[in-house]
Amino acid sequence: MPRDVTTTVLRNLDLGGGNYLVEFADPEMAAEMQAGQFLMLGIPGSETLLRRPYSVCGLPGTFADAPRDALQLLYRVVGRGTALLAALRPGAELRVLGPLGRGFTPASADVRHVLVAGGIGIAPFPAWIAALAPEKPILLYGARCAAELTLLDWFRERTSELVLTTDDGSAGRGGFVTEPLDELLRATPKQRLRLSACGPEPMLRAVARLAARHEVECELALEAHMACGFGVCLGCVVPVRRGAGPPAYERVCVEGPVMRAERLAW
Amino acid sequence: MAELAVDVGRLALKNPVLAASGTFGYGLEFRPFLDLARLGGFVTKGLSPAPRDGNPPPRIVETPAGMLNTIGLQNVGVDAFLEDKLPALAGCDTAVVANVFGETIAEYVHVCERLDQAPGLAAIELNVSCPNVECGGMIFGNDPRALGEVTRACRRATRLPLWVKLSPNVTDITETARAAEAEGADALSLVNTFLGMAIDAERRRPVLTRISGGLSGPAIRPLAVWMTYRVARTVRVPVIGIGGIVSGRDAVEFLLAGATAVQVGTANFLHPAAAIEVLDGLEQYLAQHGAKSVREIVGALEVEAPR
Repeated sequence: MPRDVTTTVLRNLDLGGGNYLVEFADPEMAAEMQAGQFLMLGIPGSETLLRRPYSVCGLPGTFADAPRDALQLLYRVVGRGTALLAALRPGAELRVLGPLGRGFTPASADVRHVLVAGGIGIAPFPAWIAALAPEKPILLYGARCAAELTLLDWFRERTSELVLTTDDGSAGRGGFVTEPLDELLRATPKQRLRLSACGPEPMLRAVARLAARHEVECELALEAHMACGFGVCLGCVVPVRRGAGPPAYERVCVEGPVMRAERLAW
Repeated sequence: MAELAVDVGRLALKNPVLAASGTFGYGLEFRPFLDLARLGGFVTKGLSPAPRDGNPPPRIVETPAGMLNTIGLQNVGVDAFLEDKLPALAGCDTAVVANVFGETIAEYVHVCERLDQAPGLAAIELNVSCPNVECGGMIFGNDPRALGEVTRACRRATRLPLWVKLSPNVTDITETARAAEAEGADALSLVNTFLGMAIDAERRRPVLTRISGGLSGPAIRPLAVWMTYRVARTVRVPVIGIGGIVSGRDAVEFLLAGATAVQVGTANFLHPAAAIEVLDGLEQYLAQHGAKSVREIVGALEVEAPR
């Protein structure tokens, strides 16, 4: 059951390259929240009107140095809302509504998970990787440049394979993250893989196409502008397939943010 | 503790704070966050004869102290509302008001007739900010004559109290207010959203798919208070004030301007218990000002006469 709580910033770490990690604690939310779910975060007294949706990055147990009952959100400063969040110091008030939406669903035991992240789309994956333990999934992680890649030591320890790509070739392979994904899918029997992807929409569309072509199960963690986060504003919809007719609209905040790739009518 | 009950025409409300259509779903969505029984009432998402998918995204954008939306009246349709939503609201102990819209007068009438005998419905509110298909897409609520016609037709279609929700996108809102009153509206709720537009300067494109959207939130409050003040001085039927209310003080502005009740809209998105916060704030105001009843402050604005 989602709750609306006021809490305070425990840590707000500048991870470099424009990435930040904010941490706060709430026992009930920490106990209920699952990887891939999100929350709506507001800054009391801030100039912005609407809260902003953030997927949960860290749950209890994800980060070894975190205090009890703490949750972490990984974010990039891209606009006014994230700039205001980045300016908060420990002790600052946060208004948090969550847990919200549907998270990732685990596949059956003999399936290997392949995680595909683009840019700040890496945000939900620490919690998801921690939930998959003791399995160590494969992580394909792309960004525009080396500086934008984050938490690399954490991922190296907890993945069986970490493939990095950058648009400018400054780290890992040059090019898009979908290229190593295509190679991996060609090289592996399809029944053995499950994809989870999060990132910019063009990347998600490309991942969905590859998953369809190789007949691999695929879940996408979507992002959308939303006013409420709990299903009433209807602002965050995406088109989904509905038989032969025109697409229906489903809410990223309730029917998502994690949705099966083949349902989307892109 | 001040008496909070008010009468909106022949409908008695336990208090003057309602939640506005389009911001409160079908009420059920808010059960995790607040006790519906504490509200004076709530107005459902607009209901049409058949389910509607709404507009393609992006549908919303934040603007200074407000937001623009172009949801496109996505709703489950009146039949699904009657079968799935209304029964689940039985015993919620608050006034459930059904918001109704159509693209023709016949569609409005159809939905009103379907709702007329529904158990547990307190009133019908007409959303007239919808294009009139029979009249070249003109908005019903922008033309006093068309508004009068749809009000008259719906008045005949139901015995429930009939509220008409006025559009602010008119030259003189007192004209549409008078037209709705003359054709039998029991109350007028105002205002609906203001038409607005946001442009992505980098891409040189409108932010919203449908170019324009409806502006709501605190940004429109002074506009809405002024319209409430003008309409309340023009008509005899009760007025329900709407527009950017997020606190008890905001609600008091509308009541002083002459509204008998208020609706909380966009604030429900910001804090799911916003309507309760507004009610608590209103009670505090009444206590601080020694009012015995909220009715004492309705229209109690003091205006200095010019010398």
